[in-house]
Amino acid sequence: MLRMNNLSKVYRTHMIETHALRGFEIHVKEGEFVTVTGPSGSGKTTFLNIAGLLEEFTGGDYLLDGVNVKGMDDNARSRLRNEKLGFIFQGFNLIPDLSLFDNVDVPLRYRGFNAAERKERIEDALGQVGLASRMKHYPAELSGGQQQRVAIARALAGSPKLLLADEPTGNLDTQMARSVMELLEEINARGTTILMVTHDPELAVRAQRNVHIIDGQVSDLVRKTPSLFDANAAHHAAAAAS
Amino acid sequence: MFKYYFMLGVRSLRRNPALTALMVLTLAVGVAASVSTLTILQVMSGNPIPHKSDRLLVPLLDNGSLKGYVPGAKPDDIQMTYRDAANLLASKQGPRRTVVYGIEGGIEPERADLPVVEVSGLAVSSDYFAMFETPFLYGGAWSEKEDGNKAGVIVLSRLQSEKMYGKANPVGKHVRLHSNDFQIVGVLDTWNPIPRYTHLLNGNGGSFNGEDGIFIPFSTAIRIEFGQSGSTTCNDHVTPGYQGFLDSECTWLQFWFESKSASDRVAIQNYLNAYAGEQRKLGRFPRNSENKLYNVTEWLDYLGVVRSDSKLSVWLSFGFLLLCLVNTVGLLLAKFSVRASEVGVRRALGASRAEIFKQFLIETAVVGLAGGLLGLPLSFLGMRIIADQSANLSVVPGMDWMMLGITFLLSVSASILAGLLPTWRACQVTPALQLKSQ
Amino acid sequence: MEIRPIFSALLRNKTAPLLVAIQVAISLAILTNALYIVNNRQAVSVRPSGVTDESTLFRLAIIPITPLNFNENIAQQQRAHQILKGIPGVLSVAATNQMPMTRSGSTSGVARDRKQVKSTPASDYYTSDSLVATLGLKLLEGRDFASDDVLESDPALSNEYPKVVILTQELARQLYPDAGSVIGKPLFFGTGNDAEEVRIIGVVERLQSVGADSSARGEYSTILPRRTDFAQYAVRTEPGQRDRVMKEAAEAMRKIGPAAVTIKTKTVAADRSSRYRSDMALAGLLVTVSALLLLITASGIVGMTTLWVAQRRKQIGVRRALGARKIDILRYFLTENILITTGGIASGLLLAVALNQLLVSQLELTKLPVNYMLAGAGIFWLLGIGAVYGPALRAASISPATATRSA
Repeated sequence: MLRMNNLSKVYRTHMIETHALRGFEIHVKEGEFVTVTGPSGSGKTTFLNIAGLLEEFTGGDYLLDGVNVKGMDDNARSRLRNEKLGFIFQGFNLIPDLSLFDNVDVPLRYRGFNAAERKERIEDALGQVGLASRMKHYPAELSGGQQQRVAIARALAGSPKLLLADEPTGNLDTQMARSVMELLEEINARGTTILMVTHDPELAVRAQRNVHIIDGQVSDLVRKTPSLFDANAAHHAAAAAS
Repeated sequence: MFKYYFMLGVRSLRRNPALTALMVLTLAVGVAASVSTLTILQVMSGNPIPHKSDRLLVPLLDNGSLKGYVPGAKPDDIQMTYRDAANLLASKQGPRRTVVYGIEGGIEPERADLPVVEVSGLAVSSDYFAMFETPFLYGGAWSEKEDGNKAGVIVLSRLQSEKMYGKANPVGKHVRLHSNDFQIVGVLDTWNPIPRYTHLLNGNGGSFNGEDGIFIPFSTAIRIEFGQSGSTTCNDHVTPGYQGFLDSECTWLQFWFESKSASDRVAIQNYLNAYAGEQRKLGRFPRNSENKLYNVTEWLDYLGVVRSDSKLSVWLSFGFLLLCLVNTVGLLLAKFSVRASEVGVRRALGASRAEIFKQFLIETAVVGLAGGLLGLPLSFLGMRIIADQSANLSVVPGMDWMMLGITFLLSVSASILAGLLPTWRACQVTPALQLKSQ
Repeated sequence: MEIRPIFSALLRNKTAPLLVAIQVAISLAILTNALYIVNNRQAVSVRPSGVTDESTLFRLAIIPITPLNFNENIAQQQRAHQILKGIPGVLSVAATNQMPMTRSGSTSGVARDRKQVKSTPASDYYTSDSLVATLGLKLLEGRDFASDDVLESDPALSNEYPKVVILTQELARQLYPDAGSVIGKPLFFGTGNDAEEVRIIGVVERLQSVGADSSARGEYSTILPRRTDFAQYAVRTEPGQRDRVMKEAAEAMRKIGPAAVTIKTKTVAADRSSRYRSDMALAGLLVTVSALLLLITASGIVGMTTLWVAQRRKQIGVRRALGARKIDILRYFLTENILITTGGIASGLLLAVALNQLLVSQLELTKLPVNYMLAGAGIFWLLGIGAVYGPALRAASISPATATRSA
């Protein structure tokens, strides 16, 4: 699904060079649920941004769903983002002046679906996160957990292959956080690959696989915890291969 | 606190120079436009002699024929015939009275090789100078006796005297005008009432530009048959010759009464009515329309001295100022919105809503002051441009203390008005040491 | 095109869009009326006076400081003619009492029948030569004066009147609306028993009155063949020679005698600019104000849009993250701007009509024609798009990483 080889990202400001990522290697298979951890400033966000085609990288290769993204222009990247990826942010990032319906609608508009198809997808997505009844409401009227669910619906509406989550539970209390995690796991169970950046070691443990980044490189500490999800992941990988 | 907020206001101006420049400039231009057109309008419609304007009266008689006359219509001309002017002069109504008509000619040079001095001015009665309170630099007006004698005497304006004699006192010297000898008896000091209300010329824009250079007795002007520079309206058959002209019903003269007090006006009105009645018995004034008296402000009104163009300019500037105001509201909104975190912190540290309101309102007042500072020279420029362009105004009104005050007052109040909404918005920010996003 | 969500988002956040719309409305209202007035004044000031090739014509007046008697005057006129004709570059000279657009001269009431009660005011031009030739008037019917038509009379001695007259086409139509040709028909100066009867022998296409009024009166003029004691001279020169000839003529006339004289000269071109000076001044003022209006409105749009873009930085990044291309962001802001300016334009047009009503009632303006409103709307649409382009481009260049990176 996602493969990075010898990836590097260098920031140049005036006369200072910062190597955010160097010799970065990662391979995420389809259907996996991978968490990414690391101390502050380790390059987690940079990795996520590059994975999400939000930023360009300096050297190395990045293949997303088999497509080599090196040298892609901005328009092509936007299109790829729109079709293949879904985003979930720590701050929800819903647009406050739009209703829930219109918020989920945003990525679909850029896709070029017609009105009927969009309506169907939006209702379906909001239904999946249990908020279909409040379609016409505005984000300010919802709790944090509900807002995050809407964000998830927005991420799902376009049927993405890969979901990228950046500290999705960071702004939520424990109860809400748990329900969001359950939702994510549900989504993963249905076949969507999930890549999640997190601080929380507890959450990191829940995933099938954890990638730990230190100083811009994947560290050797890769933990694998046998769990229910392993079996599912293997099943989906097999199905995709055949 | 006021000084503190004022200082904050000044400092914040410097923080975003582009935005500040835009705001101050917009405000200044709007204020300048309004102030300059307002001043010019005020000057043009102002009362040139406020302490006396209700005691100086213009009689308006209607000697027109009945042909095509619709009762109630205005008289054909605002001037009067020689016969009526002479009669009213002789009436001795009111403490003073004068006739006025315009004259133009050339003063013969003392040597043949020198050029002729072109002059223009008025033929008036001796009372004219006291009536309109003209200041004298040298000498004085001629006397009533000299009026009676149709003497060859002349009064010069200061400008005219300086043109001919420099700074010297020319009283006593002689000039030759219209083939007659005139002795200079007085020189006026600078006298520029705006508008030149004593003798209003319609059409050629005579009301506001230039000045009258010479004054000679009316009786003398008639004696030497000095032609009128102005308009003459004749409705009926005129016997040829100068005497025929004087005897005719042609109107070409302006007349002024001075009354002792505002209430004296009634007496003069009664006299006028009685006079008209007498003339009707002689077969004149067939229309028998109302005989009117106008004081200075009423007269200026009647003639429509203030052109519609000036009124248009004032309205235009106010519309323009309104636009600048709305624009400033937007800019202030922008300016204050980026300071939301500052407000949050201040509130967290103990500032009440009222204090925040005061702070930001004073900041808008500072913007207004800056706008006023810039607006002042722009107003000057604006007045100069408008006065230059318009054929009417050659006397540029100067900037007096009142105008200065008005400019700043307008600028600051416009700015504060524009700032009310943004300031109120700024107060709504909730107290917080660190703002959460979303 | 996502109009509905953009529109509902605007409604949720009304203040800033409203401020822009109000600015557009006020500017549009003022601008359309101002440009209409400018056009009117402009149109008035370019009306032909009837004089052909105004740039080669000037007038010269001799004012004796000692009044002359009638015979001395006539003699001086003859000498003046000779002197003027003798100056190289002079094509034609005509003695006359007044010139068009000078606002100085004589107006008399004329009628077709002495029994009429009301007469029509018309500028009465006298000439002892040919005004038709010197001013280049276009004779439509009839003929010009012959030398034996010219009446020489001293107004101090007699009221004798010329027998024939030439008048302008508009005046002819006004007096004789039903007649085919007015040649040979009578014209009365004044009405009643004292009215002077003259016979119409010619019609010129146009000769404006001395006041060049903007109403129909501006086209009513008569020309009478007469030599009296006052004359100024209309002089036509060869192209390019006018200024030199004017100077030479003034010099020569100063020595005409018998006594000292004052010479006044002025070109017809100068008469035209004097006549329309205040109209042009107002037009200039209005054009300046219009330009400032556009500038201020544009700056308002730029300011507001920049503010919005700054406020919605994160949101824009999120949209990009969700797949919006740069051009989608650009289109978003352009659409938003068009919605706002359209609102402003709609209310501005209403305001323009209201303002126009006010001006019509108070200041003698006429009704605003529709194409000015359309033009105004077009101008502001373009202005809006032009002003918003810069900030919109900057918005489009906001990196999608803003979604994750900014606080």
